[in-house]
Amino acid sequence: MTEHAQWLQLQIDKLAEQQGKFTDRAFWLALAELVREQERRSDQLRGEVDGRTWRPDRW
Amino acid sequence: MTTLVLVSHPHLADSTSQQFLKASLPANEDIIWEHIESQPTLDVAKEQDQLRHADRIILQFPLYWYAAPAGLKQWEDTVLTRTFVYGDHRYPLADKELGIVVTTGMPGKAFQRGGAEQITLDAALAPLAAVAERAKMTWLPIFAIHQFAYLEEPEKLQLVVDYQRYLTQEQPDSLGDRQTWFAERLPEMIKQLPPEQQATGRLIEAEFAQQKDDIDALADTLSLIKEQEDD
Repeated sequence: MTEHAQWLQLQIDKLAEQQGKFTDRAFWLALAELVREQERRSDQLRGEVDGRTWRPDRW
Repeated sequence: MTTLVLVSHPHLADSTSQQFLKASLPANEDIIWEHIESQPTLDVAKEQDQLRHADRIILQFPLYWYAAPAGLKQWEDTVLTRTFVYGDHRYPLADKELGIVVTTGMPGKAFQRGGAEQITLDAALAPLAAVAERAKMTWLPIFAIHQFAYLEEPEKLQLVVDYQRYLTQEQPDSLGDRQTWFAERLPEMIKQLPPEQQATGRLIEAEFAQQKDDIDALADTLSLIKEQEDD
């Protein structure tokens, strides 16, 4: 996880902790989980773009 | 989207899982919630109107002997008349989604061949899926909650939002649909924050949107590369 992503996670976690209502805390924590999923998907897509662009047979 | 939640439970007030789900119902959404067994008599015209009006219909109940409680069967037999469901070749429920929220006392792994229950939930609830099929409805994957009493707080927090999404999010449950669901609700959630937290909320919203755009851009690049590879 990049430093930026870690920082974003921290912001969401802190906001979640500050919520008194259970369902509000649930929303922000679920958003944090989705942001982690976004991060993973970005990494995977970037990796696939790199992998498919690296084609020595076309050099 | 209008979602109709029909709950069947003979002792609703005693059920901690059903009370939890009721408290988890999303606010500011078009949701009609009804407890079947609380109706003194089933008003067939009203029940059928509610079904006609809904886009997604949720049947919610505890699993009793591999089926829904008797109250739901009675509701089906009374409300889902032949004429209403498919008589005269009119199908008023066609293309509506039918979702099942089922709670079980046994763990998820019990519901498979070789498991303690020797039957999957899909198999046990096949009669409801057959009704959906007959009515030309779209059957949603079952939302099962196993052993609610054993869930710890983080799991319960997760359950709140998973349940809300099952009631109101577009299907299938893809990353794209999840992102849209959260993006649509973020402005209202930020508005509800105390003033000193709103700036953080807006910052998170902007970062979230940026990540979504990045993923879309990467996916576009990837499909371009794949197209060229096909040439």
